[in-house]
Amino acid sequence: MSETESILDQIAEAPADHYRTLKISDLDGERLLELSQFMHLSLSKEDMLAVREIYRDWNREPTDVELEVIAQTWSEHCKHRIFGADIEHETNGKKETVKSLFKTYIYDVSNRIFDRKPGFVLSAFHDNAGFIKLDEKLAICLKAETHNHPSAIEPYAGANTGIGGVVRDILGAGKGAKPIASLDVFCFGAPDTTMDNIKAEDVLHPLGIMRGVVRGVRDYGNRMGIPTVSGAIQFDNSYIYNPLVYCGTAGSIPIKYIDKEVGAGMKVIAVGGRTGRDGLHGATFSSAALDTESHESDQQAVQIGNPIEEKKAADFVLAARDADLIEFITDCGAGGYSSAAGEMLEECGGTINLDNVTLKEPGMVSWEIFISESQERMVLAVKEESMQELQRLADLYETELIVLGDADGSGILKVTHHGETVCQLDCSKLHTAPTRCLSAKWELKTKSVDAPAVDNGGKDLRALLSDFAVVSREPIIREYDHEVQGNTILKPLAGASGDAPQDASVMRISGSERLMSMSVSILPEWGKTDPYAMGTACVDECIRQMVASGADPDRLAILDNFCMGNPDAEEELGALVETVKGIAAAAEVYGAPFVSGKDSFYNYFETEEGPVSIPVTILISGMGIVEDVSHVTGSSLRREDSLIAVIGSTESDLGGSVYARQKGLANATVPGTDMDAAMGLYRSYYEAVKQGLILSAHDVSEGGLAVTLAEAAFSGKAGLEIDLSSLPTGEDVSVAAMLFGESPSRLVVEIAPENLERVAAVFGEQSFAPLGRAAGEHSNLKVTRGADVLIDEPLDELKSLWKNGLAHYY
Amino acid sequence: MEERPRALLLKFPGTNCDEETARALQVVGFSTEIVPISALTTETLDGVSLVMLSGGFSYGDYVMSGRLARLVTEQKIDAGLREFRDNGGYLLGICNGFQILTQLGLLPEGSLVENTSGRFQCQWVKMKKQADSPFLSLLPDEFEFPMAHAEGRFVTMSAEDARRYRENGAAAVTYDHDVNGSFEQIAGLQDETGRVFGMMPHPERFLYREDHYDPDWKNSAPDSAGSGKEKWGSGYYLFRSLYESVTSSN
Repeated sequence: MSETESILDQIAEAPADHYRTLKISDLDGERLLELSQFMHLSLSKEDMLAVREIYRDWNREPTDVELEVIAQTWSEHCKHRIFGADIEHETNGKKETVKSLFKTYIYDVSNRIFDRKPGFVLSAFHDNAGFIKLDEKLAICLKAETHNHPSAIEPYAGANTGIGGVVRDILGAGKGAKPIASLDVFCFGAPDTTMDNIKAEDVLHPLGIMRGVVRGVRDYGNRMGIPTVSGAIQFDNSYIYNPLVYCGTAGSIPIKYIDKEVGAGMKVIAVGGRTGRDGLHGATFSSAALDTESHESDQQAVQIGNPIEEKKAADFVLAARDADLIEFITDCGAGGYSSAAGEMLEECGGTINLDNVTLKEPGMVSWEIFISESQERMVLAVKEESMQELQRLADLYETELIVLGDADGSGILKVTHHGETVCQLDCSKLHTAPTRCLSAKWELKTKSVDAPAVDNGGKDLRALLSDFAVVSREPIIREYDHEVQGNTILKPLAGASGDAPQDASVMRISGSERLMSMSVSILPEWGKTDPYAMGTACVDECIRQMVASGADPDRLAILDNFCMGNPDAEEELGALVETVKGIAAAAEVYGAPFVSGKDSFYNYFETEEGPVSIPVTILISGMGIVEDVSHVTGSSLRREDSLIAVIGSTESDLGGSVYARQKGLANATVPGTDMDAAMGLYRSYYEAVKQGLILSAHDVSEGGLAVTLAEAAFSGKAGLEIDLSSLPTGEDVSVAAMLFGESPSRLVVEIAPENLERVAAVFGEQSFAPLGRAAGEHSNLKVTRGADVLIDEPLDELKSLWKNGLAHYY
Repeated sequence: MEERPRALLLKFPGTNCDEETARALQVVGFSTEIVPISALTTETLDGVSLVMLSGGFSYGDYVMSGRLARLVTEQKIDAGLREFRDNGGYLLGICNGFQILTQLGLLPEGSLVENTSGRFQCQWVKMKKQADSPFLSLLPDEFEFPMAHAEGRFVTMSAEDARRYRENGAAAVTYDHDVNGSFEQIAGLQDETGRVFGMMPHPERFLYREDHYDPDWKNSAPDSAGSGKEKWGSGYYLFRSLYESVTSSN
C-alpha cells in the first residue's frame, strides 16, 4: 500500500478522535494534490508543496484543522490570488507583465486619489468595507459581494445568505456600522429560455432561479429592516448555468468608531447563531467551477439563513458599540471562525477554545467547528472589564454570547479542543500564499458596422421598451421594503406617478444634514467585444447616475466587483485585464477611488457541449455625498411647460447597445468614454443643481436617448416635443445612433424656461443643447429632426409596454 | 421646559421600525424609550402615556403574524396592556404592531392575513378618514402613506362584521381602492375608547415633505424654495394629533 493510499484510507475512515495529524512531509506533488482534492481543500499542487515546505521547516506534520485553516486562508474567495498573480498579458500584439492587477490598477490608483483628496477616504481595503467622510462626525461605507455558486444550486437560500453575509460585513466594519441600505444586482438567463436550450441535467431554469433569488433577498432584507433601494438585472443566455447574484449594503458610523485594534489580554467573544455542519467548505466551494455533480454534492456548502437571529445580533452590536464596549469586530463569513479569528489574531495571536462553542448538533470534530460557515455569527474582541455589561446587552436583545478565547500577544494562533491543542500556527505564515503566474491575451473583436436606416422609429422604440434589458423591474422592487428606516428620499420608483424609474437612490443619514446617493452600473454586453470600453463606461455610468441625483462629483467612491469564468483560459483572463485597465483609467480621471471590491472566478459550467463561461462581468457600485436635501434630483418630468436639454455628445458607435442586439449588428464598435470631457460636464451640472436650476435629470443608458425621454415622461406630467436638429454629436452620427445609441456621459435635463440662459452659461462651451419642451397640451412622445417625424407615440401605450414587460415572468 | 409625555416603544426580536417611529414621536413632542421585550415588566408601564408597537417582523412572523409577540407579551405582563388602556393609556400599532394589537384582542375582532396578490407590497396608498379618532384629528379627509407588508389583508369571520366596523366607526381609515383584499378596504381600526389604534401603512415614513415620492407634492411653484413650502408630511399630522390628544387628556 502506497503512502498516499494509506493517508486517503485513513481519512476515509470515521475519525477515531476529534482531530488527527496527517503525515505529508514525504508525499510528492501528485499525492499532495490528491490529498487536497480528497479533503476538498481546493489547493493547487504548488500550494500543497508550499504547505509541505512550511511544515518541513517546522519539523512536524500538520493536523487536519491546520490544513483546513490554510485552505480557507489561501482560497481564492479569501485571498484573491488571481488579482495578486503575475500575469503575462498580450493585447493587439503588445506584451506586458502585470505584477498584481489589484496593486497596479486598484490599490495604487486609489492611493493616488486619496493623496489628491486628503481626509475624504477614511479607510479602504483593509477593513470589511471602505469608509468615506460624510460630515465632521459621521462616515458612510459600502460593500458588495457575490453569492453566485450557492444561488445556482439553491437560489432562495443562496440569495438569503448572500444578503445576510454582506450585512454582517457592514456590522463588522469599523467597530460596527449600522446597515442603512442595500443593493442587489442579478444576471440570469432570459426568462423565456426554452428547456432544450439548457444543455445539462439538474440545472435550474432561469425563472426558477430568478424567483428564488428575489424571494431570498426579500425575506432576509425585509426582516432585517434594511431598505433594498438599488439594483439592476441583466438577462443573457451566458448566465443560464452560472447566474450572478450581487448583494451590497451601505452603512453609517460615527467616525470615532472606525479604527479598531486587538490587544493582548482581550477576550475574544462571539455572538449570534450557533455552529453546525451547514456551510462546510463554502469558501473553497466558491473557488471552483460548477458541474452537474455540484448540484448533488455541494448542498452542504449552502447555508440556511435566519434573519431574526441576525437582527438580534445587529441590535446587540450597535448597542455595544454605542456604549463603547467593542475594541475589534469582524463578521463570520467564508471560513467561519478560522478566518474571523485568523484575521483578528493574525498579528496579536491568541487561543481559541472550541469547547466553548455552542453547537447545533453533537459530534462535530474540531475542523468542522472551526471552519463551519453557519450564518449570523459575529466575532468581537473586548476588554475583560466590559464582559458583564456585554452579557447584559446580549440577554436584553436575546442573542447568545460565548467566550471563544483570549488574545495573548504571542503571534501564534492556537486552537484547543477537549484539552488538546489541535492547531498551532504562526499567523504571519498563514497569509503568504505562493504567487500564481498566469497568461492572458485579448484581441479587440469589434469592427465598423453601418447603422440601419430608421424607417419606423416608433416601432423600434416599442421594441426597446419591451426588451428585458429595459423593462421596469417594478414587480421585483415592490417585493422589497425600500422605505423601512424612513430615510429613502429618492426612491427606486418615483415621479408624480410613483412608478417611474430613477437613476440613483438617495438616503437621508440619521444625524446628518447630508445625504448619501447610491447607484450601480453593469454592462456585460459591452465587455463581450470590448472589455476596456465596458470598464470605462461602467465607471462613467455609475458616477453619472449619482451626480444626476444631486451628489457632488468630487465626493464619490466606487466598488469593483468582478465575475468571470475560467482564469486559466487566456482569452477570458485577457478580457479581465482589459476591464481592470478600463475601470482604473476612469477612476483616476474622475477622482473616484475604489474603497472596496471583490471578485468571483470559476463561473463556468461543464455542459454536455463543453464548458460554458459567463462573459467577464464588472459591477461598479458607488456611494456619493449629497450636500443638501434641496439638491436631490429625480429622473421624472415635473412640469408641463419646461424645456428639455441634453448634456454630452452623442457618438456614432452602436456596439453593446440593446438596439444593436435587436438588429443583429454583431461586433459593432463599442463607444469609448471621453472621461475628461465628462468630468467637466458633471461639475457644471452640479453647479447648476446647487443653483437650483435643474428640475429633473435622467441618464442616457440602455435603449439610448429615445428610451431616456420616454422614461422621463412616464411621470405622466406631459408629452414631449423634441427636435434632434441641434443635438450635439461627433462625426457621421446616424439617426439610429442619435435615437438609440448608448454612448456614455449623457444626461437629459429638465429646466424651467426662465432658467435656460443661466444653465447655458454654466455649461459654456461644453456639450449642452436645448432640444425641445414638455408639452402639457398632449401626451405623446414626439421626436423630430427638422421636418422629419421620427417618433410620435402615445406615452400611455409606451409606458404600458415598459411597465408590464417583466410582470408576466415574475 | 415642560415635561414631555412618555412614549414607550416595545421592541420584539425582529421589530425594525422602532427607531424611525421614535424619531417621529420625538419630533411631535414625546419623550421616547425603546424597551426590548425581555426587559418588560408591569412596572415598566408606570407613568407612560403611549405604548407604541412599531413595524417589523416580530419573531420572524413565521407563524401567523403577531402571534408569538402576543404570547410573549401575555407571558410577561399578562393583561397589563389592557389595564394600561383602562387607566387612560394610548396604544398605537403600525404594520406588525397592528397585527400584534389584533392578536392581543385590543382591537375589534378580525385577522390580518396574506394579501390577495400573494406578495409583499411596498407602495404608496391613498387613504380615507372614515371616523373621528384622536389619532387622525389633524389629518384631512384624504391623505397618502406608504405601506409595506405581505399580510395586511384585514378579514373578519363574516363580511357583515367588517361592514359593521365601517358603520360604527371602528374602521377609522380605509384604502381608497382595493390594494390587498381587505374587507371593506379597511386599513386601520380603533377600539371603543378611541385610545387604541392600529393601521397597516407607515406614517413614520412620511414625516417630512421630502419623504413623498413626488418632489412637487404640495408645492406647485418649484422656484419658491423655502417660501411657504409645506415642511411636514401627513405622518407628522397623525403623530401630532396623538400628541395633542395625550396632552389635553392629561
